[in-house]
Amino acid sequence: MSIGKILALDKVATFFNIIRQNGGIRASLYKLYRQDELKDGVLVGEDKYGNKYYENPRFFYGRNRWVEYSDNYNMNYDGSQIPAEWFGWMHYKTDLPPHQDPSRPHYKWMSDFTENLSGTTGQYTPYSTTRPKVEAWVPKPKTSQ
Amino acid sequence: MLSSLRSGVLSTWRTSARALQTSSALQHDSLFVHRDTPEDNPNIPFEFSPANQKRVEALLAIYPEGHKRGAMIPLLDLAQRQNGGWLPISAMHKVAEVLNVPRMRVYEVATFYTMFIRRPIGKYHLQVCTTTPCWLRGSDAILKAIKDATGCEVGGNSACGKFSISEVECLGACVNAPMVQVNDDYYEDLTVDDAKEIVEKLKKDEKPKPGPRSGRFAAEPLGGLTSLTEEPTGPGYGLQDALKS
Amino acid sequence: MLRQPLTRAIALSSPSRVAPLGARRYADAVPAQPEKVEVFIDDKPVYVPPGTTVLQAAAQVGVEIPRFCYHERLAVAGNCRMCLVEVEKSPKPVAACAMPVMKGMRVKTDSDLTKKAREGVMEFLLVNHPLDCPICDQGGECDLQDQSMAFGSDKSRFTDIHFSGKRAVEDKDVGPLIKTIMTRCIHCTRCIRFASEVAGVDDFGTTGRGSDMQVGTYVEKMFLSELSGNIIDLCPVGALTSKPYSFAARPWETRRIDSVDVLDPLGSNIVVTTRTNEVLRILPRTNEEINEEWLSDKSRFACDGLKRQRLVTPMLADSRGNLTPVEWEDAIVAAARAIQDCPPDKLLAVAGDLADAESLVALKDLVNRLGSENVYTERDFPLEGSGTDLRSSYLLNTKIANVEDADFVLLIGTNVRFEAPLLNARIRKAFIHKETDVAVIGPKIDLTYDYLHVGDSASVVKDLATGSSSHEVLKRLDAAKRPIVILGADQLKTQEGSALLAYTQELALRLQDKLQDKNWKVLNVLQRSAGAVAALDLGYRPGVATALAAQPRVVFLLGADGGVVTREQLPKDAFVIYQGHHGDVGASIADVVFAGAAYTEKRATYVNAEGRAQQTLPAVSPPGRARDDWKIIRALSEVVGERLPYNNLDEVRDRLGQISPALVSYGEVQDNNYFAQARALSKSLQKPVSGTLDVQLKQLEDFFMTDPISRASPTMAKCVQAVIKQKSSVY
Repeated sequence: MSIGKILALDKVATFFNIIRQNGGIRASLYKLYRQDELKDGVLVGEDKYGNKYYENPRFFYGRNRWVEYSDNYNMNYDGSQIPAEWFGWMHYKTDLPPHQDPSRPHYKWMSDFTENLSGTTGQYTPYSTTRPKVEAWVPKPKTSQ
Repeated sequence: MLSSLRSGVLSTWRTSARALQTSSALQHDSLFVHRDTPEDNPNIPFEFSPANQKRVEALLAIYPEGHKRGAMIPLLDLAQRQNGGWLPISAMHKVAEVLNVPRMRVYEVATFYTMFIRRPIGKYHLQVCTTTPCWLRGSDAILKAIKDATGCEVGGNSACGKFSISEVECLGACVNAPMVQVNDDYYEDLTVDDAKEIVEKLKKDEKPKPGPRSGRFAAEPLGGLTSLTEEPTGPGYGLQDALKS
Repeated sequence: MLRQPLTRAIALSSPSRVAPLGARRYADAVPAQPEKVEVFIDDKPVYVPPGTTVLQAAAQVGVEIPRFCYHERLAVAGNCRMCLVEVEKSPKPVAACAMPVMKGMRVKTDSDLTKKAREGVMEFLLVNHPLDCPICDQGGECDLQDQSMAFGSDKSRFTDIHFSGKRAVEDKDVGPLIKTIMTRCIHCTRCIRFASEVAGVDDFGTTGRGSDMQVGTYVEKMFLSELSGNIIDLCPVGALTSKPYSFAARPWETRRIDSVDVLDPLGSNIVVTTRTNEVLRILPRTNEEINEEWLSDKSRFACDGLKRQRLVTPMLADSRGNLTPVEWEDAIVAAARAIQDCPPDKLLAVAGDLADAESLVALKDLVNRLGSENVYTERDFPLEGSGTDLRSSYLLNTKIANVEDADFVLLIGTNVRFEAPLLNARIRKAFIHKETDVAVIGPKIDLTYDYLHVGDSASVVKDLATGSSSHEVLKRLDAAKRPIVILGADQLKTQEGSALLAYTQELALRLQDKLQDKNWKVLNVLQRSAGAVAALDLGYRPGVATALAAQPRVVFLLGADGGVVTREQLPKDAFVIYQGHHGDVGASIADVVFAGAAYTEKRATYVNAEGRAQQTLPAVSPPGRARDDWKIIRALSEVVGERLPYNNLDEVRDRLGQISPALVSYGEVQDNNYFAQARALSKSLQKPVSGTLDVQLKQLEDFFMTDPISRASPTMAKCVQAVIKQKSSVY
């Protein structure tokens, strides 16, 4: 065990490393504000929406892969914005990210990924096909004016 | 082989269709609802003739005020006679008007009684009795002879429009069976030839002689009287001498 | 003259059957009561007057004898044979409905012979009755179902189905209200007797005979009467069912809420049947003092109008004058602003036909607090003389049930048959069973019974009142022991209205003073709408015309759909607030629309033409954002700044009670007095009259669509079409 470890100097080094990797104090504070955590890791890939996927085996399993959502989303990010092809890597179904996986099929019928819009104005609302029990009166539009 | 298969398939189809749906048998020879036809609809006017108008008044006079509707059956009968043996809907309306009752009350009576005929009918209405005494005495043959001679089915009118045949229940002339009623006349003790002759005469619009055809006057025994042959006794027969004056 | 229909005339006629139920106050001068006879029903002794039938005697000791054809309010037919009971020392079972009791008769309603007779009758009925209960609308409320469960055999001997089948009868088209499945008919003839005796439309009958007998109209004719729906209730099987309600619901799925009808002035008692917050149908509820157990077709079938043309949200006119849905806050604030900006004398409130007492009192209190007295009803009534100060001048003082006991009825300018169908049914009942005579002043109309037509000129009333008439009616009226005079409120619209009312009061009170029976009231005014009496009781003033002449700037229409207030009569910048439940005449001229509740959706007080307060109960909730009417006005008052001092219904009713205790004594009707004072006040108004009396509803097609609810009802529209179609038919 080195003296540095005993004095936890490696932690200090890691701290500065994290700050550096995340683009300085200013950028780090912004990331902390946006994501509530600050990690260092290897950029594994980036999807077409601009989400960046990181991995760092130093963290324990379950926290060692993460995504930093694209800046387009601002604070309105959620899990459903991860496209389907990255889903497997994020959930440890596979260790191969999509761009490194040659056996992954690409059919032409595969449609573009869309995020889940529930809770937003674009959400799907089922409509009733039964007649309303009460028919409302529709006033006649005034034609004279 | 194929034909037997086909008939087998057909028979199963028939029985299954029969099991699925049945319609009830018609239990009466006329409908109990009115259907407008060119011959019988309320737009055809009906009026009592002047002669019958007098009869209407006479009939109405029989019934006390408030009970004039008692004259309904006589009036319907009068209307039926005036209209050639059948009762059109406009005649029922006229009777309702005369009696001042709702039309439905007239319809009820006219449909209840089978002798009110609510369809156009031939000039001669041949009513063949087929109840047991007449049937035992050969009414089937009489009916067949009449059907052949007129070319008319039971319940229908002949092609010439002159005849209509009905099978009726007992007309009360069992002693003179078999018998046929033509309009208001009874023709009794008939043979097949008699029946044919009657129809032939009617075709020529001659009136055959009504009554028994066997030479009887009425319902007396065919071979002459077997009792009551002697002269009837006078008044006072068998009285005690003491009671004689 | 023979007035009774034939069925009635042949049947036994017993005094107890003519006046079946309910204590009658005006029984015929109490003739020496015949001695009662003692009979034994299942060994229980019971004393009944002679002429009572076995069935009625059994009912008195609580033994119910099964029946199909017998009905308390119809003539006895005795053709279903279901009521067979064993009578001791009688060789055969006897039909209880037609058998008068005899002294010492011992009836066994539970013996083996009786049970066997019932089982046999039931078996015969079922031989020709289809077993289609699962698809039959009567299922669950069918007398035949119930009684075959109770009295029928547990197994069937009917094996004939494979060769001849059951009797089949073609269905009849009897109009848009009644669906017929005649194969189910068991020939009880209740519908025929109802049509002939109560409705007075002799269109039904039996045609044919034997097993081919059918009940119907023989010719293609619709059964068009203002009371036709009642034969649906009368039919003990599913042969006659409701067409608008067909295949809609089963009786066990529905909730039944007792309520009161508001579509005619009588306030018939009804049961509103609902499921999943939807009114499915309306049935009559027995009330001997108003509707017996009948209901007019409009009251029964117009309920589908409650689902059409509804105001479901408050609306406000936008900059182009088009009404657009808004929130309650916006609508109320807009209305309040208009009211605040308006000088009190330019504020006008007009109440319509269907307004309930609670909203009427709230509106009146609000307008009064704002310093205005301009509260008016749409219907006219003369204000001269005693005006609306004395209740006796605008009510049916005789009361509906007592009309049966009248011996002479004079109708002045009213078509009772369509203005109050069940009152007409009462008059017809009296006409048929009690030799009551009827005379009419007004146009010649079909009242379903014969009457003496006295003319259609208002001067006839004057001549009768002054005693200068030479017409025989005057002699008949003078000779009558219990005459009544019914004046149609529609006649009071004209300039001569006050004189006409004065003459009618004079005539009626002159007759009343001579009567031996001092409790008998002669004068009756038949209002046209359910809300009229409450409005007059609360002090609404009749006659909007004068108020409109004052050029009001803000007009509050409380359900006023009569077309009395039009845009043309108002100044250009007038602000119209409409509160109601249907988009009809009133809403289409409004700047602000408040969505209110209809009578099935609120607990509200209505006062009927007799002055009897009754309350409706909420059967369903108001649609969308509609609210209880009085609550809307209460909310408006708060925004206007004149908060009304009541926060819940009980407090509103306390306020009603302060104004008149009669408005909150539910179900009761008080005797009216001060006739002499009203007469004295009207003396000066007896001016010459020259007009002719005309009525608004002359034909059956006029009857069906008279108010916003029935105008919105598709069923009522079909009825009008059917009547017009029937007119062109030759039958």
